[in-house]
This record gives sequence, structure tokens and C-alpha cells, in this order.
Amino acid sequence: MLPDSDTIRNAAREAAAQIAGRPIKDDQRLVSSGLIDSLSILRLISLLEKKLKVSIPPTMLQPEDFDDLDLIVETIERVAKAAD
Amino acid sequence: MLSERLRRPFVLAASLAFYATWGIPFVVVPLFVSVLVFVLGRWMAAEPGKATRWMWIGISCLLTLLAFFKYRDFVLVNVNTLIAWMAAQPITFAKSVALPVGISFYTFEAIGYLIDIRQGRVRPTTFMDLCLFFLFWPNVMSGPIVRARELVPQLKFRLKFEPRFAFEGLDRLVWGLVQKNAVANLLGIWVNKGFSLKVIGAPSTIDGWFLAIAFGLQIYFDFAGYSNMAIGAARLLGVTLPENFRQPYHAVSPPDFWSRWHMTLSRWIRDYLFFPINAKWMGAPVPLYLSLLGVMTLVGLWHGAGWGFILWGLMHGAYLVVYRVYESAKIAHSAIGNSRIVSGCWRFLTLVGITVAWVPFRAPSLHKASGILSSMFARFSLGTAYSSTFYVFTVVVMLFCAVEPFIVRKLTEIEERTGENGASMFRIFGRPIAYTCGLLLFMLFDENNTQFIYSQF
Repeated sequence: MLPDSDTIRNAAREAAAQIAGRPIKDDQRLVSSGLIDSLSILRLISLLEKKLKVSIPPTMLQPEDFDDLDLIVETIERVAKAAD
Repeated sequence: MLSERLRRPFVLAASLAFYATWGIPFVVVPLFVSVLVFVLGRWMAAEPGKATRWMWIGISCLLTLLAFFKYRDFVLVNVNTLIAWMAAQPITFAKSVALPVGISFYTFEAIGYLIDIRQGRVRPTTFMDLCLFFLFWPNVMSGPIVRARELVPQLKFRLKFEPRFAFEGLDRLVWGLVQKNAVANLLGIWVNKGFSLKVIGAPSTIDGWFLAIAFGLQIYFDFAGYSNMAIGAARLLGVTLPENFRQPYHAVSPPDFWSRWHMTLSRWIRDYLFFPINAKWMGAPVPLYLSLLGVMTLVGLWHGAGWGFILWGLMHGAYLVVYRVYESAKIAHSAIGNSRIVSGCWRFLTLVGITVAWVPFRAPSLHKASGILSSMFARFSLGTAYSSTFYVFTVVVMLFCAVEPFIVRKLTEIEERTGENGASMFRIFGRPIAYTCGLLLFMLFDENNTQFIYSQF
């Protein structure tokens, strides 16, 4: 079962901070600002899968789906809904 | 001003007329792409179970079309060379077909549109929307490469005209004209001479480096100039196109260069090619390095059917692999660190690597490229074969590029201080003076050289 939005947001914040090597603000752009590149997004997906115990198939995704914390929450919820 | 209902047909008619100036029969090609993508998009939405199949059929058709116009002669010439080497009968083929302007750009936009429908990011749109999307005159010739989801909603032309559209549009348009005419065209005179096959023998070491640097500056000012004109012309219509350049010669690493150079192509490659390939392997090192080399070779081929473009792409692929290996080593051994010396070395090596790679990109043959490269690195000589104007002008343009971020920052500050609608000395006097100077420069260097380098791609 998919965790609630706040849990996903916190997990995303932790994972993004781990990859970027610095704390992440709520409205901070991750991909378009160059803070996280497309390969780091794969690491981010892998970390989120472990933290949230969900499967996120990256073949239907694009890097901009991970551009900020809101988008990450939306993306994970959309992917989980499609998998149901 | 036209009523909202007439704006779209008017812009579409103007776009078709603009495209037809290269030859009326060529209009058939983007119209065929629009019909194909329109029909397939509808079928994908109607039968989601078969969407992937329709998407691949569409991508195959689009790539076949691109290959027919762009790579047919290159493939046949190379096959015939191979056949001649094996002493067999060469394949005869009909006269070469002219390349429809912008085909590489709108083909990529069409492929992106089909993938976006497959991923549920856009809904199939109307035929008129698609024709406008592919043929929109400011960017049909050489981009920026746009996504349907960022351009199609704007092509409804619902915004009422605002004075800032004119200011913003004219700023970019005039600056683009200056970049193209006063810098790119002027550098092009010496670059064309230096890279010409008529020049027998290799240049001196100094001339080799100056030619490579001058071409790097020429192609930047040419393409950035075109992009500024496209962005400016679209802005006059109230449409915002994505940026294509962000001071690329200030890149601190090879990946950074690709986030600053032809940004809309890099974005397309990242979203539709590089990310899906590496997502399959979750970024494992060997597939990653192979994909970097493969994708950058394709980027080279996208620019044109020639071994020079392939070599250019391979060189950039190799730079990206080397940098990725360095980054992995940095993560594994924190001792490597982020010292200023290391960052400075990467900045310098990136600039040198980019400059060296421009040689095969521009040279008319690999033989010519190897002659210039050997002058740059092996056969040292200090002679100069051009007038002093060439060297001085190239250095002046280099210095301009060095201070460009500072100038942009200062202009932005002035613009922000004056406010969006506030009258100011800058707005009342600055702009008209700047536009007049720009147009004078444009006319001064106008030698009917209106061909853009990227319009050949």
C-alpha cells in the first residue's frame, strides 16, 4: 500500500538531500536548476523505492517528473495508481 | 489587430507561406508529418492497448522519412566505396534529393509528441494545432526544439497584445541580427578560407588554433543569433519559446557544456533517449558509458550525414565518459575533493576539448581535419597567414564571451530596477539607441550572407 503524501514528501526530501549533498527546500528546483542530473534521478528512484517499499518503473517517466518535491509526490502517486 | 478567431489561421497561412519560400513542393513534407502524427495520435488515444505499437510505427515512419532525405546519399556513397573495395558493381542511384528545411527539428518534435501521448503527458490535439506546432514560422527552420505541451497551448493566441511583448521581442531580434551579421558572418570569412579544400598544406600551429577558436565562436554567434531571432519573433506574437543557449563557453565540465549548448536538443536527447536507455540498466557503469558514446554519435549524425559529424559526436561522448569516470572516482575516494585547482583544470580541459572537436565538425573532409589537428598538436610552427584583423577580432570576441555573463547580469539588474511598466531613461533613450546601433551594425556587415549554419542540419 502506498504511504500518504507527507511520508512520500519526507522520503523524497531525504533522498534528494542525500544525492545533492545539501538540504532541500520545499520549492527548490532539482533538475532544471542542475542540482540533480538525469543519472542521479535513477539513484533517487532507487532510494525512494527502498524507503517507500514501492516499485517505480522509470521507463514511463521523464527527468522533469522529479523537478521538485511536489512533482515527486505527484509522480509516485500517479505511477502507483497506474500499477493498481 | 486580428480577432482571436482569425489569429490561428493567419499565423498558419503565414507559416506555410514562409516555408514555401524554400520551394512549394517542400511544404508537403511537414504537412505529411502533421497528418501522420495526427492520425496515429488519435489511434493511440482510441486504443490504449495498442498505443505502444502505434507509437513505434510512427517513430519508424518519421525516422525513415528523415533518413531518406538526410542520410540516403551518405549511406549509398559509403556502401559503394565498400563495394568498389571488394571489386564489385556499384549501386547506381537517382540524383540526390534536396533537404527540406527544418526536417531534423520537426521530426524530433513529432517523435516527442508521440512519446508524450504514450506516456499520458499530452492528449491528442487538433490537426490545425499540429500543423501550427510543426510549422510555426519563428522556429521551423532551426528550432528551438519545443514540446507540444509547452507550445500548443500558447498557439491559441489568446493573450492580448502587451507593450512588453514588443520590447522583449525586439531586444532579442536586434541582438540576434547583430550576433549573426556583425560577428558570425565576419568570422565566417576567415573560417571559410582556412577550412577550404583549396588551401593546400596544413596551417601553422597558431593559425590552426585560431581557426578552431574562430569557428567555435562563429557557430555560437550564428546559432545563438538565430535562436535569439526565433525567440524574439515568437515573443512579438506573445509566444515564449524555450532558451537554447546559456553562455556555453563558461561550462565547467563536459556535461555542463551540454546543459548550456543547444539546450532544447540536449533536453530532447535526455528525456526521450538517454533517460529511458539508462533507466533500463539503472545507470550501471558499462551500459552508461556505451550509451553516452552511442547517444553522442547519434547527436553528431543528427547534425549531418558525414564522418566529421560522427567523429565530433564520438569525441563529445568520450569527454562525457571520462568526466563520468572522474565523478565516480571522486565519490569513491573523497581525497580527490573539490579543490579550485581541479575545478580550474576541468574548466580549461572542457574549453580545449570543445575547441578541438569543432575541427572535424567544420572541416570538409577528415583528411583536412587531421591536417589542422596535427598542426595544433604535433607540427609546431609560429607563422601567421591572415591579416592582423582576424587575430584581433577573434580575441575581441573571446573577451566579449568572457564578460558576457557580467553584461547580462547588469542589463537584467537595470531592467528589474526600471520595473515592468515604469518609464525610465533606459526605456525612453536606452532602447532606441541600442536598436539603432544594432541595426547600423547589422546593415554595415550585411553581405547577403543569410545562410545559417544550423539551417543545413
